[in-house]
Amino acid sequence: MNKKIVSGLAIAAAATLALGVVATSPAQAAAKTSVSLAFEGPLTGGDAQLGQDQIPGAIYAIALYNAKNPKVKVTLVKADSQCDGTVAANVAPGVAANKAIIGVIGTSCSGEARASFPAFKAAGLTMIAPSASAVSLTDPKAPDRGFPVFHRVVAHDGFQAPALARYAAKGVTSPKFYVIDDMTTYGGPLAKGTLATANKLGSVVGTDSVPKGTADYTSVASKVKASGANVVIYGGYTTDAAKLFKALRDGGYTGILASGDGTNTSDFPGLAGKAAEGVRLTAADVPFDKLLTAAQLADFTKITGIKVPGLYSTTAYNATNIFLDCITKGALTRSAIQLCVTNGSWTGAGGETIKFDRYGDIIGGAPVGGYLVKNGVIVYDSVA
Amino acid sequence: MANLTQFNLRDKGAEIWAGWSRPVRTIFVVVSIAIVGLLPFAASWGPTSFLNTPITSFQNVLVYPVGMFIMMALGLNIVVGKSGLLDLGYVAFFAIGAYSQGILSTLYGWNTWEVMPVGIGFAMAAGVLLGLPALRLRGDYLAIITLGFGEIVRIVAINLNVTGGPNGIPGIPNPPKVFGFNFDLMHPQDFFWLVITMILLVVWMVRRFTVRRPGRAWEAIRQDEDVAALMGVNTLVYKLWSFVIGAAVGGAAGVLYASKVMVISPDMFKFDVSILILACVVFGGIGNIWGVILGASILAYLPERIRFISNARQLVFGLVLILMMNLRPDGLLPRKKREKITEKGAK
Amino acid sequence: MWPLPFGGVATLHNTLDLNRSVDMNFSVITSQFWSLALQGLSLGLIYALVSLGYTMVYGVLRLINFANSEVFMVGTFATLFIETHVLGYAINAPSLHGFKLIYTLFFAFVASMVACALLAILVELVAYRRLRARGANRLASLISAIGVSIFLLESMRIITISRPMTTPRLLDKWSFGTFHGANFRIDTMMAIIFPILIFIVLDQFVGRSRLGKSIRAVSMSEENSKLMGININRVITLTFCIGGLTTGAAAFLYTTVYENTVFNVGFSMGIAAFTAAVLGGIGNLRGAFFGGLALGLLEEFASAILGSQWKAVTVFTVLVVVLLFRPNGLFGEAVQQTRT
Repeated sequence: MNKKIVSGLAIAAAATLALGVVATSPAQAAAKTSVSLAFEGPLTGGDAQLGQDQIPGAIYAIALYNAKNPKVKVTLVKADSQCDGTVAANVAPGVAANKAIIGVIGTSCSGEARASFPAFKAAGLTMIAPSASAVSLTDPKAPDRGFPVFHRVVAHDGFQAPALARYAAKGVTSPKFYVIDDMTTYGGPLAKGTLATANKLGSVVGTDSVPKGTADYTSVASKVKASGANVVIYGGYTTDAAKLFKALRDGGYTGILASGDGTNTSDFPGLAGKAAEGVRLTAADVPFDKLLTAAQLADFTKITGIKVPGLYSTTAYNATNIFLDCITKGALTRSAIQLCVTNGSWTGAGGETIKFDRYGDIIGGAPVGGYLVKNGVIVYDSVA
Repeated sequence: MANLTQFNLRDKGAEIWAGWSRPVRTIFVVVSIAIVGLLPFAASWGPTSFLNTPITSFQNVLVYPVGMFIMMALGLNIVVGKSGLLDLGYVAFFAIGAYSQGILSTLYGWNTWEVMPVGIGFAMAAGVLLGLPALRLRGDYLAIITLGFGEIVRIVAINLNVTGGPNGIPGIPNPPKVFGFNFDLMHPQDFFWLVITMILLVVWMVRRFTVRRPGRAWEAIRQDEDVAALMGVNTLVYKLWSFVIGAAVGGAAGVLYASKVMVISPDMFKFDVSILILACVVFGGIGNIWGVILGASILAYLPERIRFISNARQLVFGLVLILMMNLRPDGLLPRKKREKITEKGAK
Repeated sequence: MWPLPFGGVATLHNTLDLNRSVDMNFSVITSQFWSLALQGLSLGLIYALVSLGYTMVYGVLRLINFANSEVFMVGTFATLFIETHVLGYAINAPSLHGFKLIYTLFFAFVASMVACALLAILVELVAYRRLRARGANRLASLISAIGVSIFLLESMRIITISRPMTTPRLLDKWSFGTFHGANFRIDTMMAIIFPILIFIVLDQFVGRSRLGKSIRAVSMSEENSKLMGININRVITLTFCIGGLTTGAAAFLYTTVYENTVFNVGFSMGIAAFTAAVLGGIGNLRGAFFGGLALGLLEEFASAILGSQWKAVTVFTVLVVVLLFRPNGLFGEAVQQTRT
């Protein structure tokens, strides 16, 4: 008796649920006066800075859009996935179940993206990532590709890693590379990706993998010194890069130091102190404040409360604008958004053309910028 | 206050249970299971909608962390609660189960049901491998060795190619359909029922063990290992058994978890998980199955429910642990009074 | 542990193929021996100081003081706070010299030790005392200590907004000279000399003074000590205080040598220090000293020879082997005899 009721209820509920997620009839869409976009990325936790730097770009874009009094208002839902696959695996189904959300700006980290794909694929929810740069996410052959929901407005590590090696060795005759990574999803593949280019430009005299959070980098420093390397490339995040670079300089290493976008945060020069001077950094991003006029920057500060836009504000802004443009064009359902994002073409904040290929990368690739630390500030140098 | 700290709900419950006749008990069990089985719909039904978790999906939360934590806590309870061995690396067995599923399904196309016994087998083998040297040691030395083992498994997973390095293994298939139940993303409730079934199996298994020879041997070892050895209990063998059975449960949970999330990576198997599972066991009532289940449900569910205070979430969690341990050091539902004795060496 | 594939030997090789091969590089032993030994020594002695926070408490209470790692974390921030806020040095302040340098470092050193000692005493009050008074299960204390450590960690995370922080380079890193590649830098030497002095003082204190003797008495038998009129609670507070002082000293040295800290700095330090304590024989003062040393050297040489990614694996493998042959750690006998 009991069991019958249970199974009956279960089937009924399961059916309604399944229908609820799948069905998005046009009749419903016509009546919509407001829709939501979700920002999925780390807003708390150890990597919070990454997401906290990006979300102002999205907030700014949406505020500009809503200020124009459009027919359909847009709200932003913050989905904090802490740059952690375990968390993202639970957050993504929650976002997918919220029917008001028709597009996801995110994720910030590649690990989160992987863990979110199953839910977003099932729900047909389009993602445009501002900074998830692992190559495999858009690799047609990779089992963890995000096709068809995943898109990104950032150059992937396949572009960034060779650019990093090239930029690091710029102006160096017969470079001898020492490549170090932090054993994370981000740092490991990025460091590995530089090896081929490094071998072409010169020689790789040594590699090491030091777990993120290690206190003592002096033994690595003495190994680098003993190897006779003159270009050190680090794949990892700010905190550990600062420790490593300090240890290298204190250990008497005088060659070039270089690292990727994980280190390219406003904290880095302060943390590494004198060791930061002249460090070469890359990022698949152009600084947002360079693209804005003074009035726009003042507007940005007024809306977001942030004086200087952080890393990947530009890409977050571009990602948001793509969704907003589609919404303006009348795409108010998940499937319409997907169609619009896959086929459309836009102009980014820097004037570049954004059009996605079949697997979600920008056709022609996004630019990778080279940055230098000068007098304690990270300044844009040239295209790497 | 005194009432709050002295009151033992578990004993009270046992008393009521003892007073019931067989049909009453059966009805009670069936109704309880039915109510738990309906939990996935609690979030969308008016009166219980307060249970809904903001941002994360309630039905998925029920599977992981809640269901999985209950299962792992039950497994760890065999080791920590029943035979009194402090294991700080329980996540290792969970990881071994998950990686078995990840590797065997993506490389060799095995499905979850085929991997399950193999994954459990690997976890048990790892339990023997770790247990044989470690269980010869006493008390807290075991703690550090198990802690180290947990870290080693994670680091080896980062360093090997077959485990996908730091990227982990993507593209793990969901379990195939059974009896019309679809275990995929669109049907988290089916997954939840699967987890409940497995939890019930574990509960049944633990209860069987407890009333038979191994249970008595564990009890003796927990109370005083020297005396147990003197009375003719082969302590190493029985400690190893509890360790290996605990490992098996962890491995099973791992296999299931991998096929649920479809993507695994080493950072899902950090030391924090071991600590959290241990906290579930102690919080709920060490040694008592129902206490452990209650503790795991609360500790797994609470951080998700209070996600809206996202920044202070873990802070509140820490406070709850301190407060609860000070108010009810034996947990929410402590074990039977006669089982509660001071262990040797504890002060 | 991994499945045997069905494709024969060739696939087996692929399956076990290492991501980063274990290329043993024994040449570093000859080329960098002294430099690695010096680094290992300074790192190991910092570990040893922190491991006292575990070993002292364990000696008396037979409990793992899980919150000690966060006591260390607070110590690093205390040093940082003193230098940048109380004494008001900016991040890019020039290095100090002469009396001003000694005064500044000494002030930061003492402040860090006091902050840690107070915090450790507080930890005992919050996490252990009530539970102990009620004769609770030892795991309950463990979990409440974990609760305290989560609380401290999260508070600091919220206060610092998860950002890493750095200290000004007040101590100019000049060197006494080099010896076969080993650089005798002032901060490295400080990290070696300070702990050795602290250990000598502590060893004398525990061995000779009345309070020190009462600590040993309680660790041998609590009941008998009570009979002898020793105030148990005071002794326990004292051990937490000593553990806090040494952890604070370690935090100061760490911050001075590595010049940075972040809210989760305590985790890896805590695990290393706990390992050091067990390696030397937990509950034993000299064990902590030599355990820390051994661990520091082992880590440096393992990461040089096998690569840093296998460091933790090597450490734990050595730990298991040591414990198999000496089940109570290198210096563990004394404790075990007194226990049973």
